[in-house]
Amino acid sequence: MTDKKTKDTADRRNFLKLAGLGTLAGGASIVAGGAEAVEAGTDAGTGYRETDHVKKVYETARF
Amino acid sequence: MSQVTSVQAEIASEDADRAILYGFIGRMLQAAPSNEDLQAIRGLQSDDTPVGQALAGLSAAAESATAENLSRAYEDLFIGLGRGEFVPYGSYYLTGFLHEKPLADLRATMSRYGIERSEGVSEPEDHIAALMQMMEGLISGDFGQVATLDEQRQFFVEHIGSWAGHFFKDLSATDTDAFYAAVGALGRVFMAVEADAFAMTE
Repeated sequence: MTDKKTKDTADRRNFLKLAGLGTLAGGASIVAGGAEAVEAGTDAGTGYRETDHVKKVYETARF
Repeated sequence: MSQVTSVQAEIASEDADRAILYGFIGRMLQAAPSNEDLQAIRGLQSDDTPVGQALAGLSAAAESATAENLSRAYEDLFIGLGRGEFVPYGSYYLTGFLHEKPLADLRATMSRYGIERSEGVSEPEDHIAALMQMMEGLISGDFGQVATLDEQRQFFVEHIGSWAGHFFKDLSATDTDAFYAAVGALGRVFMAVEADAFAMTE
């Protein structure tokens, strides 16, 4: 990583923290209880990007 | 149902919060929240940051909301009789029609990441809720590995940045329901933060 990239990354982290991201006190509670539209993949974690390896299923709202 | 545990421990706390917020906003726009969800939202702690203030606004709006009312409001806003007040699809927002090029572009990206629509689902994939949850998955690594910041930026710029901010701004101004207006305000603030943050590392 170049110095500029390191600095950019640090700046970005600081910016996000100032915006309120990184310290969400209620983070866990707003996640709990919601209906998940995105489900865990069936064969995730191999590091490959091909469909068969990282199959991801999601459902949109039933209109 | 995966809860906060779906956010991998190895990602930085601010990225974990980004994933949480994307997922949360996505779920609020996928279906009306339950009374249990509302109880949790009322209990949110907030601070003076822009995101914290938007969450405080949502928490306050949840005080007088009920699952029953929100279910009706959700119909009026996003489904309606034939068409709701909003048509929350990227293609529609960008071109005035569903199923146009923005959707085709998204499908190409999804195929690259191995993201698929489940069988029997016929709604276009560029619904705002689906896009929010795709970002959640890219950040948290639900698609097999954590997407790099460059990949996240590309996805955001190509499929979200061009229209989601407008959608959330419009939603924040709705008179139909105060809770969903607050969801809009939260989304608007968050999309602006994301756009600025991505621009810092270009």
